[in-house]
Amino acid sequence: MADRYSFSLTTFSPSGKLVQIEYALAAVNQGVTSLGIKATNGIVLATEKKSTSSLINPSSLEKISLITPNIGMVYSGMGPDFRVLVDRARKVSHTNYKRIYNEYPPTRILVQDVARVMQEATQSGGVRPYGVSLLVAGWDEHTDTPALYQVDPSGSYFPWKATAIGKSATSAKTFLEKRYAEGLELEDAIHIALLTLKETLEGGELNGDTVEIGIVGTPADHLLGYEGVEGKKGPRFRKLSPQEIEDYLTNL
Amino acid sequence: MKAEDDKTRILNDHCLMAYSGEAGDTGMLTRSFGRGKVQFAEFIQANVQLYGMRSNCTQALSPSSVSSFVRTELAKSLRSRKPYNLNLLIGGYDTVNDKPELYWLDFLAAKDKLPYAAHGYAQYYCLSILDKHHHPNIDLEQGLKILRMCIEELDRRMPMNFKGVNVKVITKTGIQDLEY
Amino acid sequence: MDPFSINGGACVAMVGKNCVAIACDLRLGKQTLTISNNYPKIFSYGDTYLGLTGLATDIETVSTDLRTKVNMYRLREERDIEPETFTNLVSSYLYQRRFGPFYVSPVVAGINNRTGEPFIAAFDCLGCTDYSKDFVVSGTSSNQLFGTCESLWEPGLEPEDLFETISQVLLNSMDRDALAGWGAHVYIITKDQVIKRLLKTRQD
Repeated sequence: MADRYSFSLTTFSPSGKLVQIEYALAAVNQGVTSLGIKATNGIVLATEKKSTSSLINPSSLEKISLITPNIGMVYSGMGPDFRVLVDRARKVSHTNYKRIYNEYPPTRILVQDVARVMQEATQSGGVRPYGVSLLVAGWDEHTDTPALYQVDPSGSYFPWKATAIGKSATSAKTFLEKRYAEGLELEDAIHIALLTLKETLEGGELNGDTVEIGIVGTPADHLLGYEGVEGKKGPRFRKLSPQEIEDYLTNL
Repeated sequence: MKAEDDKTRILNDHCLMAYSGEAGDTGMLTRSFGRGKVQFAEFIQANVQLYGMRSNCTQALSPSSVSSFVRTELAKSLRSRKPYNLNLLIGGYDTVNDKPELYWLDFLAAKDKLPYAAHGYAQYYCLSILDKHHHPNIDLEQGLKILRMCIEELDRRMPMNFKGVNVKVITKTGIQDLEY
Repeated sequence: MDPFSINGGACVAMVGKNCVAIACDLRLGKQTLTISNNYPKIFSYGDTYLGLTGLATDIETVSTDLRTKVNMYRLREERDIEPETFTNLVSSYLYQRRFGPFYVSPVVAGINNRTGEPFIAAFDCLGCTDYSKDFVVSGTSSNQLFGTCESLWEPGLEPEDLFETISQVLLNSMDRDALAGWGAHVYIITKDQVIKRLLKTRQD
């Protein structure tokens, strides 16, 4: 291990800043915009799927991931870092929770676990901070309410009613502030999400292949894979198919 | 066999621990192997005294805290490669709540707070006497009287000579050795 | 020298109409010799109650370990643990010691704070959970407890009737077990209150 740096790459600058974290945040702010809106009966996560070449098969690109049946997340920033975090989030949701309590973690607990992973990357030797911000959306069974969080490379996290991250986060948030209303329903939220994406569009057009949407809503029993077991509920988090997205877009 | 082996340890100003291991002089024997009852007692004594030193002698460990600490150590040892085999009584005066306390611990690290307790054969000879004569609010003098009855019973009935007893009294003012 | 019957003890839990009850004896013994007649075996973790019989040292270890775990859970989740979740916690905790088990037979009783449903469960020492809709038993008197439960318990008992039933069940079972008895604690748990009663029983 002598060839490996074992001191933290994130060190204080004389002015008291951790510039590595600021650089990571800069990477996030260059990333494609993602947004999340919380409704009374669910949450929508939306992002633009930009492919560099028309030769890429769009269905192979995935930016919104399911973590537990009730929790999903999206990112802005570096795709590979996100995949690592998705793997870690799925793993800790089992090791730290399901294998102990035989139930999936509430959103806040999962967010804290992921935030810890990201924080550790700012204080450990030989590693760099993750170059992503996350939006984590989930449904909490014990309060019967939805929850939406943002997690940053520093490991700090915030609960939101609606927010955006990435390149056009500022303008998207201004737009959301105007459009968001208390008592919003999921269908309206999806509508607003698409409007916001359209508003902040960075070129290209919106269609089922260029937009990705994940929702937290009513239990999707058809995704259970079986039926007839009493009391069994399907996952609340699911991704909309390109066809479903097209349908929403035509109604825009 | 040694006739004058004091099987008690003063843990702090108001806390005394009495212990008994396997019969005979196993304390001396196992000392050379490094894990006898004496070693355990010394370990406990050192740690309780260390606690007192760390708090600049402003605060001693209460009897209930001492007994919990002893239990945890004994419980750890129970599932180790070579468990300690000793039974304990911990007597102490809780100076904060102004109450005397007695804790009974066996080699399995079962712990209980009791009004009176004994270990080994003494249990079979003394507990019935204590059941009959002990009351929750007896004073020291009455307590010593019952203790005298217990020891006389042991002297009379036990088929062996235990070569006298050590008697120590723990009160608000501290621990005293009693001539017996 | 069965570790489950060195110290002796008995515990039982029952479901009633919108209530549950859990009861234990107070004896601590060393084989046939009684050491104490004030050794309760029921511990509360918020509104969920746990009864532990078996080896006294492990009763202490398990109850305090779970205290730590439940306190940490409370701080993390900012809410009390539900009986069902607690049951899963006990199970996974015990199974961690699969090849060097704690010699205890736990019993859980509580009411789900969200649904208001009564809940009871029991385990073996490895954490295998036994969910039950009527009653669960544990301890050296478990055979007698099963018998008295089968004959005295009925569905839909009101809190006061449940108290009477569980008390008679425990008392009559303890009388036929030399290793249990010497007083008892009974908890009657309803959605908005818990009543703890101390039973005086024969001291032999």
